[in-house]
Amino acid sequence: MVRRGRRPAAGTVGVMTPLLSARGLTMQYPGGVTPALDGVDLDIAAGESVAIMGASGSGKTTLLHCLAGILRPTAGSVTFASGQGLVRVESLDDAARSRLRREELGFVFQQGLLLDELTALENVAVARMLGGVPRGQAEAEAAQWLQYLGLAGLEQRRLGELSGGQAQRVAIARAQVTGARLIFADEPTGALDSATSVEVLDLLLSATAQGRTLVVVTHDADVARRCARTVVLRDGRVVSDTAAPAATSGTAAPAAEVSR
Amino acid sequence: MTATAPAPAPTTVPGARPTGALATAVHLAPLFRRRRDGDRLATALPVASFAVVTALLLVVLGGAQAFFGWDDELASTYETLAVIAVVLLLVPLATVGASAARLAARRRDERLASLRLLGATTGTITALTVLEAAVTALAGAVLGVMLYAVLAPLVGLLHFRGEALGAQMWVPWWWLPLAVLGVALLAAASAVVGLRAVVVTPLGVRTRQKAGTAHWVRVVIAVGVLVVGLGLMQVLGVLGEMGGIVAIVGTLAAIFGGMLLALDALGPWFVRVRARRQARKAQTVPRLLAARMVLEDPKAAWRQVSGVAMTSFVGVFGAVGLAMADMTSTEGMDPDERWLMQDVSTGVLVTVAVSFLMVACSVGINQAASTLDRAAVHVSLDRLGVPREVMSEAARRAVMSALWMVAGGSALCAAVLLFPLVGMAIFVQPVAIVTALAVFALGFLSVRGAAALSARLVPGILARPERAL
Repeated sequence: MVRRGRRPAAGTVGVMTPLLSARGLTMQYPGGVTPALDGVDLDIAAGESVAIMGASGSGKTTLLHCLAGILRPTAGSVTFASGQGLVRVESLDDAARSRLRREELGFVFQQGLLLDELTALENVAVARMLGGVPRGQAEAEAAQWLQYLGLAGLEQRRLGELSGGQAQRVAIARAQVTGARLIFADEPTGALDSATSVEVLDLLLSATAQGRTLVVVTHDADVARRCARTVVLRDGRVVSDTAAPAATSGTAAPAAEVSR
Repeated sequence: MTATAPAPAPTTVPGARPTGALATAVHLAPLFRRRRDGDRLATALPVASFAVVTALLLVVLGGAQAFFGWDDELASTYETLAVIAVVLLLVPLATVGASAARLAARRRDERLASLRLLGATTGTITALTVLEAAVTALAGAVLGVMLYAVLAPLVGLLHFRGEALGAQMWVPWWWLPLAVLGVALLAAASAVVGLRAVVVTPLGVRTRQKAGTAHWVRVVIAVGVLVVGLGLMQVLGVLGEMGGIVAIVGTLAAIFGGMLLALDALGPWFVRVRARRQARKAQTVPRLLAARMVLEDPKAAWRQVSGVAMTSFVGVFGAVGLAMADMTSTEGMDPDERWLMQDVSTGVLVTVAVSFLMVACSVGINQAASTLDRAAVHVSLDRLGVPREVMSEAARRAVMSALWMVAGGSALCAAVLLFPLVGMAIFVQPVAIVTALAVFALGFLSVRGAAALSARLVPGILARPERAL
């Protein structure tokens, strides 16, 4: 077994214990002529940062949705090593997949998936409150994460009062506050300028230094270059899967997260 | 080998001369009638709402015209009360129309935005949406006439002046097409007003952002009006001696109107204050979301249920009147005077019930429009693993907390004005008060049911998430 956080050598794909494993993943949308995914096999180890690249329509977002249990694949399997043991994601019902996403996975999408009417603090705290944590404690943990991500003093701002980069930091805080072991990011820097993109990507990659796993869907080669591994899709198939050195940095994360 | 020459590109034939917005809308409307999967509830809700509204309108008109058939000395009193009841119901009726128009615009948003991208004018978009609302209302109103045919015999069992209304509930046949046409026109007019709340751009449809504030000055005005009203009530006897019955009726009308204005001034501010407190204290996600949704626009939250404000206010008068009628010694009265006291209370309770049903319709379609507005949020929350029940509960709570405020606040204002009588009625004639409370409870349940029904749009949105994002 490979230690969490270890990066594979350049040019090879690491042989780590898979945190997430897809086999023969096929997705055919109703009315679609060709499958969006066509027999994808993929292993993602704990602590990895994986970029999924491909042209528009190559199936990269569909792959992310199937891996995260948002979509149920037409065929194939997705196995996730959850805190309670191995879980076959595609065989779970809607409620169980929702619980899995809520408790074990984190999401940072292009639009952030944040609620406009809530403050930055509430947006992060809600993720913990959904898990039954009392509001006071949830907000205290949320405040620690916002401070860690450089948003101290902006806790009571609503989404409309934050810049795009700040909103993405709130999304990153929310993705991590639950102690999620696996973070999915779909074009997380797509709506940001280049300087802010670098900052946001730094923060996302720092999560892997804390033992988390990161899967990023991107069309941006700069983003992919900074990940430890790049998987390229074309017409729903994996056409290359290569590892590359990546430079990640990490500062001390809030204690509540590290303990998980 | 020679290359095959490509076929010549089609040439563009100059189109006919430009037509007006209405003509263009009429040409486009049939294309928009095609239904999409998951669109059925969004279509059925406004139709059902207009059906219920038309049926209720005809029932109230039927009851009102029955009073106009009498020609004794009390007839004019009954006629005045009937007109007041109809006027009270026009406000919720108009809000249903505006809500339906907003839903029509939201339901068609992608196609309306595409039309704008193709160069359709705002006039064409407006005409198309108004046409849509009018046709929906027309279909609903025709169904409403059928519903009226079912309801009229049942409502005819109500007793006024000691006799069942019976066949007097039937309006002349030529009123029916007029009512259908009237509802369609009202919907069209409301659609124009409702469209002012949304902006259709080539990039999509969005709700026009308004300052969602409610200033404390409103409280000062409302309290001032309440104090003046209380003062006038104290000197009502003196005014009666000075100016006779005209002075009394005029003063009562001024107090009544002033109270309604005070409610309208106070309502949004009170809704905002309460929602802020709820947001601060919320311990669960649905409670927090509901409070924040109300705080987004307290005026809109108030407007949605404000139709109940007037009727709740009147409802307390009705309940107390019912109790007084039972308590008052009738020995010195002639039969007509006795019936009048009883009938006023019955009429008020019927008006309250009808008003609640209309608000339920308005809430149903408002919530449906709001659910479609927030489709992207629902998809986002689902992706994050938020249980669907949490989303539904938050939406339902946002409506119901405002409704409690509106109905409770209005009833409280009326109870303050009638304080000694209300206290007496509770102890001496609890049955009358329980009757009134039962009407209120049924009204709340119908609004809650409408809010819950619109939550059933969520599974349809989640089944086709790509349409929402």
